[in-house]
Amino acid sequence: MGKFFKLIYNEEIKLYIRKSTWIMYIVLAGLIIGIAALTNTFDQGKNYTSDNWRTELQKENKALQKDTEDYIKETNPDEDDFYVNMNQEEMDRNNYYLEHDIQPQNYGAWQFTSDNAGLLSVVSLLTIIVAAGTVANEFRWGTIKLLLIRPISRSVILLSKYVSVLLFALITLVFVLALSLISGGMFFGFEDSLQTVVTSHGELQQTSLVTETLSSYGYQIVNLIMMTTFAFMISVLFRNSALAIGIAIFLMLSGNSIVGFFQDRAWAKYILFANTDLQQYTTGSPLMEGMTMQFSITVLIVYYIIFIALSWIMFTKRDVAGF
Amino acid sequence: MAEFAMELIHTKKRIGQKEIIKGLSFQIKKGEVFGFIGPNGAGKTTTIRMMVGLMNITSGDILIQGNSIKTKFKEAIKEVGAIVENPEMYPFMTGWQNLMHYARMSSDVTKERVHEVVALVGLEKAINQKVGRYSLGMRQRLGIAQALLSYPSILILDEPTNGLDPAGIREIRQYIRRIAEEEQVSVIISSHLLSEIEMMCDRIGIIKNGELITIESVRAAVGESEKEKELLMMQVEAAPIDKAINLLQAKHSIKAVREEKMLVFQTEKENVPSIIKTLVEQDIAIYQAGVAKKSLEDKFFDLIGENTIG
Repeated sequence: MGKFFKLIYNEEIKLYIRKSTWIMYIVLAGLIIGIAALTNTFDQGKNYTSDNWRTELQKENKALQKDTEDYIKETNPDEDDFYVNMNQEEMDRNNYYLEHDIQPQNYGAWQFTSDNAGLLSVVSLLTIIVAAGTVANEFRWGTIKLLLIRPISRSVILLSKYVSVLLFALITLVFVLALSLISGGMFFGFEDSLQTVVTSHGELQQTSLVTETLSSYGYQIVNLIMMTTFAFMISVLFRNSALAIGIAIFLMLSGNSIVGFFQDRAWAKYILFANTDLQQYTTGSPLMEGMTMQFSITVLIVYYIIFIALSWIMFTKRDVAGF
Repeated sequence: MAEFAMELIHTKKRIGQKEIIKGLSFQIKKGEVFGFIGPNGAGKTTTIRMMVGLMNITSGDILIQGNSIKTKFKEAIKEVGAIVENPEMYPFMTGWQNLMHYARMSSDVTKERVHEVVALVGLEKAINQKVGRYSLGMRQRLGIAQALLSYPSILILDEPTNGLDPAGIREIRQYIRRIAEEEQVSVIISSHLLSEIEMMCDRIGIIKNGELITIESVRAAVGESEKEKELLMMQVEAAPIDKAINLLQAKHSIKAVREEKMLVFQTEKENVPSIIKTLVEQDIAIYQAGVAKKSLEDKFFDLIGENTIG
């Protein structure tokens, strides 16, 4: 085993040997199975067969049309009403199926997994907790003193801790994916074909459910990595995991409000949270004018370098004393 | 190979405006047990933290087997096994898991070695219990086992007797001497209580307010020639005492002090007969003469006076 690999192994052992880590996974499993069970109970599920799907879709569209008209009559909404748009999108999608003669899929394991992409914010939360603890806990336990008097440089120790946190995120992500597929498969069965229709750059397109699922997970990973790195930095700076968890989770939850609050300022587009959602560029409606994918990636890289550099400088240069 | 196991060269530590360590210079010989004594707040732990690279050295340097801890950290620290302050371990892991954790951080530590150190500190029975359930004494042993893992040539133990009961202290004393001999290591052992470690040390360095006050030999060093150079604290009851004091000053350039009826002075063993001869020849009556039973503890207090903090 390489030396660095051994360090990672050490970190993962310290993580997975503790009950608190297992509780995280139990909570996550409970959430996934719970969502599957709830969806199964409340969503009657459309049952398209090769014979009836065309008439089913037309029926649906009629119902949606009527629903929208009633809604407009009753509430007299704005031009850009959310509910109206949602119904319209649904109708467009149905029409796309009809025009291209594609049979829509019944709800299945992949669809369920794709819908669970939102659970990545829970994964982010757990990873933040782990990232906040990895350095701060060594200080709290006093074990940092024994860790830093080995023939290994502080930079390498820090790197091993950071990589271990990312590894935890990856393992947890795979756990969510796998358990979603399994519980989705158990509750809804698997789709016959993996073709689906999505909105891309304002237009409907046909794509594979697997690609679609993986890409929606992928976009969320950006936010996960940024917030995890941020929590890691706070934990190195203040050597206090509670503080790091608090600040990181607060910012994660209030990120969008912060951007909204400063929206009319010129510098608002440089706020980290305005740039963490890269999916805004594929669906075709960026948060602010003048923002592009390239711009956001540059901003993200700059923040990332600052987070990493601050952590590294503080960890390697500061005295370990007074614990 | 370097001449000394460890060498401190004008080591200073400043935190903010305050100079905590004011230029320490001393050497640790190979294979000796060196006691590092001082009142709380004197700078023992700070010095030890600098020795192992946990704290930066403001100026000066510390060489471990000839390698600077500042510029050749890896080479220097490889020679060191240490416990800094309390022997803190991961409480949620067993003793064995803790040792394996540290074993994986050094390149040459095998499972057999881990078994070996566990046996050395006598922790075989409890090694598979979680450290959270260990008594302080057991954790102290596990700490020493951890420090010994990678075959260090210098063992640094910071306050290893802290919080132990007398039986535990006696135990530690016994096996630190044994380890020093069996593993052929230099041991640096710090304490604020001299009496606790006096017996196991070869030499003792006393530090107060960040300055080294003195270094004393405790037990006879290995070589015979050094044995004869050992200083004795002599107590002589003589009359007239003032004349005796003057004589010692004039003929042997020894500064003697008067303590009631006693004449107290320090000298080498080989000088004792001639000193007594001088006194007798000058018609001074000697009622008794002997080596003072003054312990190092008393000397320690003489040297550092009251425990001053600041």
